Amino acid sequence: MPPSLEERRPAITPQLALRVAVLGGVAFVLFAIVFFRLWFLQVLSGEDYVTQARENRVRKVKIEAPRGDIVDRNGERLVRTRVAPVVQIVPGGVPDAELKAADAYRVARSKAETRRLAADDQLRALERTRRAKGRRAVARRQRERARLRRAASSVHVAVPPVPAGEARLNSTYRRLGSVLGLSAQGIHRRVIEGIAEAPYSNVTIKTDVARPAFNYLKERKDEFPGVAVEKLYLRSYPHKTLGAQLFGTLREISPDELKLKKYRGVDPGTRIGKDGIEETYDRYLRGQDGYTRVIINSLGNRDDRRAVSRREPQQGQRLRLTLDLGLERAANNALKQAIAAANRNFNPAKAGAYVAMDPTDGSVLALGSYPSFDANVFAKPLSQGSFDKLNSEARGAPLFNRAIAAAYPTGSTFKPITALASLQEGILTPTQTIFDNGAFKLGPQTFKNARDARFGLLSLPRALQVSSDVFFYTLGERANSRGPIIQRWARRLGLGRPTGIDLPGEYAGLVPDRHWRDAGFARYQRCVKREKVPAQTFAALQKCGGIERPWSTGDNVNLAVGQGDLQATPLQMATAYSTIVNGGKVVRPHLAQAVEDGLGRAVQDFRTPARRHVQFSKLNQQTILDGLHRATSQTGGTSADVFQGFAGGKLPVYGKTGTVERPGQPDQAWYACYVPHPSRPIVVVVTVEKGGFGAETAAPAARLILSNWFDLGKDKFKVGTSKTR
Amino acid sequence: MSSAGHTIQPASEPPASLVPRVWHLRLDPLLVCATLGLVACSLVAIKGSTADDVAGQPYYYVERQALYAVVGLVLMYGISRFDYTRMRELKYVTYGLLIGSIVLVFAVATATRGSKRWIELPFFRFQPSELGKLLLILALSSFIVDRMRRMGRDTTARVMLLALLPAMLVMAQPDLGTSLVYLVGVLALLFVAGAPWRHFVALFALAAVSIALVLAVAPRLGVDVLKPYQVQRLTAFLNPSGDPGTAGYQQQQSRIAIGSGEKTGRGVKNATQTGLNFLPEHHTDFIFAVVGETFGFAGAALVLSLYALLVWRGLHILTVAKNLYGALIAGGITVMLLFQIFVNVGMTVGIMPITGVPAPLLSFGGSSMLVTFMAVGFLQSVHAQARETAFRKGRATVFQ
Repeated sequence: MPPSLEERRPAITPQLALRVAVLGGVAFVLFAIVFFRLWFLQVLSGEDYVTQARENRVRKVKIEAPRGDIVDRNGERLVRTRVAPVVQIVPGGVPDAELKAADAYRVARSKAETRRLAADDQLRALERTRRAKGRRAVARRQRERARLRRAASSVHVAVPPVPAGEARLNSTYRRLGSVLGLSAQGIHRRVIEGIAEAPYSNVTIKTDVARPAFNYLKERKDEFPGVAVEKLYLRSYPHKTLGAQLFGTLREISPDELKLKKYRGVDPGTRIGKDGIEETYDRYLRGQDGYTRVIINSLGNRDDRRAVSRREPQQGQRLRLTLDLGLERAANNALKQAIAAANRNFNPAKAGAYVAMDPTDGSVLALGSYPSFDANVFAKPLSQGSFDKLNSEARGAPLFNRAIAAAYPTGSTFKPITALASLQEGILTPTQTIFDNGAFKLGPQTFKNARDARFGLLSLPRALQVSSDVFFYTLGERANSRGPIIQRWARRLGLGRPTGIDLPGEYAGLVPDRHWRDAGFARYQRCVKREKVPAQTFAALQKCGGIERPWSTGDNVNLAVGQGDLQATPLQMATAYSTIVNGGKVVRPHLAQAVEDGLGRAVQDFRTPARRHVQFSKLNQQTILDGLHRATSQTGGTSADVFQGFAGGKLPVYGKTGTVERPGQPDQAWYACYVPHPSRPIVVVVTVEKGGFGAETAAPAARLILSNWFDLGKDKFKVGTSKTR
Repeated sequence: MSSAGHTIQPASEPPASLVPRVWHLRLDPLLVCATLGLVACSLVAIKGSTADDVAGQPYYYVERQALYAVVGLVLMYGISRFDYTRMRELKYVTYGLLIGSIVLVFAVATATRGSKRWIELPFFRFQPSELGKLLLILALSSFIVDRMRRMGRDTTARVMLLALLPAMLVMAQPDLGTSLVYLVGVLALLFVAGAPWRHFVALFALAAVSIALVLAVAPRLGVDVLKPYQVQRLTAFLNPSGDPGTAGYQQQQSRIAIGSGEKTGRGVKNATQTGLNFLPEHHTDFIFAVVGETFGFAGAALVLSLYALLVWRGLHILTVAKNLYGALIAGGITVMLLFQIFVNVGMTVGIMPITGVPAPLLSFGGSSMLVTFMAVGFLQSVHAQARETAFRKGRATVFQ
């Protein structure tokens, strides 16, 4: 078969040849046109266009977008945005000598900070050995301790004076100062500190500038070179000190952060969240900046009559938290009362923390640290001096969020964890009894109950009820022969690692075990040998840290009652208790509930699934809960008198007191409790540093928090009398 | 010889079935050079102009364009190894795919600056109207070949109607430039297929009347066929020094960019038109202006020469095609490329209106890049098949 007509290759017919020639001709003409046009533009009139390109002066001017609000679970505003007139110094307009001075200041500061941290480390090592060795104080040691404490408290670096020969700068500062009501020296100090802190961004000299001064400066730009007068969005915190550590602050994005993936698409100069919720949820809260394109004339001034185009800024989204403002306020007041009560007992308490959480899903209902600070201070220029005050130990370090970043031994609140480990690993049965004669002997050492109490024959629920130390010392010794079982269960329940809450700066804590102590001791020994200092001396302590001996059974005995090297945050304890009461779900604590648009409609709900599940038997769980319930409800229970009459007995409370012995200091009070409820279950953990016994301060505070949560009306701070730890 | 069922084999040759079939699918080397050269120019221009576009990622666009180029090269090679004639049977599939994908855009596409042109895929934003350029050529070539014996008024009208449907759909996205590309491509097919001259005269007359209706008469009657910005863009090149902020402003900036490049260019660092963002869409529609500003007349002329080489090879392949289908495909693709080149480059130098047609193989963009590579792949396939046929018939084709 010959190929069909369509399949056959057409011989090039004259007609097709003609048409291809036409196409070729058209292509030739089109290319020729473009070539000549290019020749005309680039070669013949290129110079004109070079001039035009130079004269091109359309610029984009940024219009900042306000950030989104942060509201509590009921829509109450916790953080909002307001507009304020501010005066700033632009680093580009500052003479080089001043910039160099700022740089020298920065170097001096960072050196001083390094020295401070070294002193702080030594002080900690010293405290640790004191704890281990008892309260033998040598005069020399005490002098050394006082010196270290001074060195570790804060850094003082003098700000260099205005560089000589900068008369013009000095005069600008003086004139600016007289307009704003500031001293020239004060402005200079702000500039040096601000540039040292963030060399790339404008330094705010004053916020909330009075209108006359604002207008005066705005109209006389030429007389104040390098001074920017603008209206800025500032954060404002209507509830001031309440939850101040949660939110974090804002500052300009640094060149390093610009490279991070999470800040993709952010322009230099944008203010981003630093610390706290502002940092974690920055991408929702941050709005989208707008701009105007303006034409700049040959004098360099904006020609506003010819605005070219404009993109409106978009406010960031609103973030709804799981926090309950009412509960937060009640908890804060309760903690204040607890501290006052401790002070009445001559315990010098001044700091503490609380966590209230839904044990079923990890929603944080209240979380706070005392003392706190007025969050509004960060919206204004803050001098280094005031910042140091906010950080100083002597004033209780208000910036420090104790609920997530301070780790302490937990005292007897740890006992349910020991109990669960013992039951699960079979070194104790729910009905098995241990005889408590008031003291527990281990080799040469004797561990005693607080106040030398003797409780006789105890089963686990009763041991939890009266908080017998001897019972748990015994378990600690038994467990030690079985390996790190208490440690394993503590870690399963969430101790010794961050809980994963949506706040930066969480501390992992420490669950001490043989491996940790032996490794630390080996380091100590190597260090002692290298440094040629006699072991177990003060000099060795300064150089090599405080782990002066290997692991011993005594360490495990101490751990069983939450003393010794154990370090846990209040939030970790809340997570551990949640896991025990909810049947093994290790929840991830979280503050964010939903992202909403400006009208409060949900855009995105955050789902926070449990981190993992722990298996334990229902019977063991019931035995522990039985003990915790007895502790709050039956005579002899450690917090029974605190909870007497609570909710008319309608709401069962499962709670455990804790009292940490701290060498050279008054005891630290703890309380952890759980109230089951079909719709409002809650776990509360309270701790008061130097607060005395748990029943005296922490437990009454927890009762006040619970009363508020269940709307039980006005409740009194009810001091307990139990003197068991 | 008989035309009956069997043929007589000469004694000196083994039966055809015993000869192992050897393929001689030769690529056209000059076309390969033009393609690779343009891609190289594209990468250089994009690298220079987009270093600051994505903060912290100076290579954001280059990396992506390079990836598209690599995928495109693989596609091109794959298609060139395959006999394009098989696409003839798939005419209903290709035409259906063409219409279907464009309609799909209306259903699922994401709108960018008021136009719905893209379908979001993971890793990639796909623009069906780009692929449509190729599908339209493949499908309509096939229809024309089927009706080759009756190349009358009737055929011309049907083919034009088949082309108008996708063109109108694309116009509604709205994407005026691409719909014009479709129409020009189909006119090229009819031209190569030998439609009488008077048909073209009639079509141009019809077009002139409808343009007059759309631009002048319809607005008076209150019916807006074109969006206002489209009318503005189409007429802006007539008075380019108009108000900044309008389409004329963009073209003004583009001309300043190209002009200020002079003979040898201002270099990447001094190219203020590009670097300070005076030039809009500098890595996509106005990339030729970037080349002009950065590398001057030398660079622009180099790119234009590569384009000319591309078009010349396309027309050459049209003349050697083994069958009419191949000739039509080659003709359609080549004229489409020529039209896009002229419209895009003409837009940047201020002699054509702004239509948003990308520069083939030069502009940033995955869809355009991949489809152009596929189109060049088909050109190569036509070439390879022609060489193969000529070889089997034992006669050499003209030079390559």
